[in-house]
Amino acid sequence: MGFRNTFEFAIIAVFVAGIAAVSPIARAQKSAASRKISAPAVKSDTVPVTTSSKEARQDYELGLSHREDLLFTEEGIDFFRKSVKADPHFALGHATLAFFTIDPPEEVRELALAKASASRAAPDEKLLIQWMTGTKNGQLVPAIAAMNDLLAKYPNDKRLANMYGEWLLGAQQNYDLAAKVLEKVLKNDPDYYPALNNLAYSYALGGRAELAPPLMDQYVAALPGQPNPQDSYGEILRMLGDFPDALDHYRTALRIAPTFFTSQVGIASTYALMGDEERARFEYLKAIDMAKERTDRMDYRILWAMTYFRENRPGLARKAFAEVAAEAHKQNLPIEEAECHRDTALFNPDSESAMNDLDAASAVMADKRHILVGTRESELAKILQTRSFIAVRAGDVDAARKALEGLNSMAQTNRDNAVQDAYHSANGAVMFLQGDYSGAISELEEDPRDPLSLQLLADAESKAGQTADAQKTLKTLAAINDETVEMAVVVPPVRAALKSNGSPSAQETSH
Amino acid sequence: MSLADLGKILREKTTNWPNGRVITVVIRDPNSPAMKFVIEKAMGGTAEDGKAILNEESRKPAASIIFVSSDEDIVKTVEANPTAIGIVDVYNITSGVKVIRIDDKQPFDPGYVLKGH
Repeated sequence: MGFRNTFEFAIIAVFVAGIAAVSPIARAQKSAASRKISAPAVKSDTVPVTTSSKEARQDYELGLSHREDLLFTEEGIDFFRKSVKADPHFALGHATLAFFTIDPPEEVRELALAKASASRAAPDEKLLIQWMTGTKNGQLVPAIAAMNDLLAKYPNDKRLANMYGEWLLGAQQNYDLAAKVLEKVLKNDPDYYPALNNLAYSYALGGRAELAPPLMDQYVAALPGQPNPQDSYGEILRMLGDFPDALDHYRTALRIAPTFFTSQVGIASTYALMGDEERARFEYLKAIDMAKERTDRMDYRILWAMTYFRENRPGLARKAFAEVAAEAHKQNLPIEEAECHRDTALFNPDSESAMNDLDAASAVMADKRHILVGTRESELAKILQTRSFIAVRAGDVDAARKALEGLNSMAQTNRDNAVQDAYHSANGAVMFLQGDYSGAISELEEDPRDPLSLQLLADAESKAGQTADAQKTLKTLAAINDETVEMAVVVPPVRAALKSNGSPSAQETSH
Repeated sequence: MSLADLGKILREKTTNWPNGRVITVVIRDPNSPAMKFVIEKAMGGTAEDGKAILNEESRKPAASIIFVSSDEDIVKTVEANPTAIGIVDVYNITSGVKVIRIDDKQPFDPGYVLKGH
């Protein structure tokens, strides 16, 4: 099964039925805008940056070159922090820090500061702030409109277009559009290396993996002294299942920059995927030492703990996860704390006990402080989706319905992909348990990238007599090579079953 | 606007805005794959029936419907025409146009009707 793209149409107009009375104002605004357009203007190729501090401007630029151009993410975020420290009223600085930070309390704080100081920004700069903050607080329609206005006004701002492509790729999972945006950047400047990197990922994740390695060759050649091209090449090869070459590239990245911790994590996760869990743990510990951001360190500790489950040592795994959860609690990292409980649940062979693990995860998310509503609901959605998956495993339709109820009310108000996808997955799970296999297939196809949904989809297709589709879905599942818990739970039994010509079901994926 | 209202506009059952001005529909070629979903969803029936209605010769002299080759052209045409209504991929909107709610929902809202695969 190939990954399907979702599309969403907008009905547009300038003059809308029922608001005829405002048309003279609209006309006056348009006329004023025309006058402005006709005035001679000298415009930069890039979106303006307004700050009274030379230091803030310099740090902001360094932040962008580290975070966006060279993918030194921690260093980049640190420069953004320095820039808003140098000028606390630097609106674009606050918005950029909010956009890139991985620390939930910092995200909340910086969004508020960006809003509070936005009036100081230049008009076009305000559009960029609107895009950055809108993507964070669910105001996607005006955010997209703002970005398209900017792209039209600044067609030569490669960094702006690359940032948009990266967002489409990462947050929206709109791989085709991301590729289109990035291809356009590269048409104007074929050597613009940040776009080469993101385009390769767009192809690899969007079902055109064969196009990615040549771009990676170009990316490596464009930046021979930088670690990220080697790191990205390693990740792309790992996605394609070429583990030895992936390890080579990660090691090359670390030879170039021994502190480039994402390559160290890459090595660890590659060993985990290869089944060498002891080596993976050793490598994860190195990555934990290298990372500076507390969220990164905690995320790697979770991956470290997961290796015990991967090698089927549940006692040690539960102990490791309990320790990591306690540390996450101590450090006020609720997402990581909840993830520890959710991961434990997914690997728990006893459904009742797994539901207790999920209760613990939900309880962590009950504390609403220091975390954006959207971030909290995304995690809650994952917990509820996991609940529905475990309910299918146990054949418990009531538990599946209860999970769906929670997701249904959340999905009425939250537009986030994670929430919507989880809702469809849970709805598919309920339909599956009720024997409505064609309804389940339709719902589960709405979440075509999550291994839990794909497993249920294969089961539903099999039950519906669509054997060829079920085999195709299982092959898609078996080809996934990432470090997520969902992959670790679902994919190994699928691979084993395919090897012995069987068809594993969700009921058989409990470890 | 409801989905039914949109269907009436596309079927030319509704031809004027409440203030009396003629509605101009701006869309991509009805034969393009992207339009198939919209036609089926908003006009009901099959894509072929919808295409036939949209392509009726009688609509062309009055310029009540304009076919253009890209979303960018739809946005530009709608921006320049205060009586126009267009249909584009939401990722192609600009602030020069208003996004009309359909059945009280806008793109990305849960349950938005013009979302497909």
